[in-house]
Amino acid sequence: MASRPGTAERTRRMLALLPHLHRGETLSLAWLATLVGCSTEEVADDLMTLALCGLPPFDPANLIELVIDEDTVSVIIEPHGLNRPVRFTHAECRALASALEEIGYAPESDLLERLLASASPSAAPDELRRTLLAATAPGGTGDIFATLAEAAESREKVRIVYHTGSTGRTSARVIHPWELSNRHGVSYVAAFCEQAGAERVFRLDRIREAVAIGEHFECPANVAPGVVPDTSALPVARVRFAPGATLPDVYDWPGMSVEAGEGEGTIVRVPYQGPHWLARRVAAYLGEAEVLEPAEVRVAVREIAGSLLQEIQDGHG
Amino acid sequence: MPDASERQVNLALYLASRRTCVTAAECRVAGLGYPDGQDDAAFGRMFERDKDTLRAIGLGIEMTHTAEGEAYRIDPLATFARPIELSGAEIAAIRTIAATLADDPGFPFRDDLVLALGKLETGGERDAVASAGEARVSRDGETGAAAVLADAIRVRKTATFTYTNAGGATKLRQVDPYGIHVRSGRWYLTGYDHPSGEVRTFALSRMADVSVNTARPRTPDFERPENFDIRDHERLPFQYGSAPFVARLRFAPAEAWRAPRLALGHGTIETGEDGSALWTVEAASLERLAEWIVDSGPGIVPVDPPELVASLEAHLRKVVAIHG
Repeated sequence: MASRPGTAERTRRMLALLPHLHRGETLSLAWLATLVGCSTEEVADDLMTLALCGLPPFDPANLIELVIDEDTVSVIIEPHGLNRPVRFTHAECRALASALEEIGYAPESDLLERLLASASPSAAPDELRRTLLAATAPGGTGDIFATLAEAAESREKVRIVYHTGSTGRTSARVIHPWELSNRHGVSYVAAFCEQAGAERVFRLDRIREAVAIGEHFECPANVAPGVVPDTSALPVARVRFAPGATLPDVYDWPGMSVEAGEGEGTIVRVPYQGPHWLARRVAAYLGEAEVLEPAEVRVAVREIAGSLLQEIQDGHG
Repeated sequence: MPDASERQVNLALYLASRRTCVTAAECRVAGLGYPDGQDDAAFGRMFERDKDTLRAIGLGIEMTHTAEGEAYRIDPLATFARPIELSGAEIAAIRTIAATLADDPGFPFRDDLVLALGKLETGGERDAVASAGEARVSRDGETGAAAVLADAIRVRKTATFTYTNAGGATKLRQVDPYGIHVRSGRWYLTGYDHPSGEVRTFALSRMADVSVNTARPRTPDFERPENFDIRDHERLPFQYGSAPFVARLRFAPAEAWRAPRLALGHGTIETGEDGSALWTVEAASLERLAEWIVDSGPGIVPVDPPELVASLEAHLRKVVAIHG
């Protein structure tokens, strides 16, 4: 049996730090903490312990020698023998596969194959492929994610073809990609949109094409983009659900809350940014949900349902 | 006395520094941190534990038999990764993944992801162009369970949990976990369900009190069927149900590019002369498929079966009527 989780995690962290400690370098504690996923206090504590580690006979020439101050560590004598990254463990392969698939790389993607080729013999990439699936479409959004990530780092404008889900319109736009994020298994890019002349958030799975156009942009210093708008500033709709209907949760409808019962069914209050987003969600309840107010969302539900009805009738007419 | 982590790091450095194998007895007296005066049995247990910990971290500790007994060394080929060639876009993507998912409480493997990405040494600060997104709904229960169950799949130990089905009924379940998948940020477990004697899929969001059998941790509780593949069990929302049928949906020409992304590898897609896409897919619930069509639209209409078309038309008329 292995050590207790706390000890094993700390040992794992300490060994993960070793390849980053090169003689003569001064490193930020915050950066090292980021690399091994802990607080700066924990990494400082780990480094203090590492400074006691070394090889027999544990004289000064055979100990790892580190000078740790408030924010940095200076490496005087680096570790011997374990100064290269070790292969990925099974758990690390699982995390990499899951992360790459979640942002749109297919399980068979060349990138994932190359990464898993660095797995430890005790890891089992084949078993992983048969037991873990982070569900992406073939030809998914991995390449789009990579294009936008590189453009965001290099501050390069990108031309995208974007499908607006609520209205079904497709448009070409030039955006300044500021920040990528992931929420509920969906990747987003927050960007300045030249066509709109304002900040916009785009879902990556609705970007049909993304091409960097070689033009530089300046990112405003005070940008604080986010995927989820401040729901407290949004208008609120009231939606009544029929008795027995499965209610949405805050995972699907951010900021929603359940009102006290009023007659039959359950009334939910939900903030919304655009009426079509909420209207499509309500229409998908197929009559088990009714927008009570405001009128603009009621109208949008009616339009969405009526339009689809017309499309079906045209197709079968 | 050094703490356990200090002793284990010393052991790792010691094994990595030796060109020849060393015995447990040599490790014991090398000053690595094994307590003086410890009896042989206690030392043996501690040494085994330390080796297990280092192996779990990824160190390839090789054992050979010598005249002095078992001896150990670190196998460099099995231990150290070769540099991985990555393009600029891939490095940027990986750095961005680190920031979008590694700090994300909705991602169950974030600790492992951080350490894996640290090994790639892609360099650079990683907080400039990505975030996990604020106002994230905390799903520690679900993601914590995903991490626990993923480990149980690996070591083949039986899991127990209470499960509330869509009808609101709660039952205790004992399941041999075979595989796990995520769709739209929600995790699902597939495994052999002891009470029903069937392989079933469970939504982690409906589980509570997830625990894994800790008895005999080195001994698997079950064998996963050799031909098991999680892809055979990952389904679209409308593919769960008791009345299977084949559906055909038409994507308008302007929407045809979305078909493969929405199909997630299920069914077949044919492109029409006008640029439209015809998706033929297995389904098991008329109502869930009708919901999916409305939710995923516009530009997607049902073609077959007629019951689906009629059902969706009737429901849409109802939606129009109550919002009239």
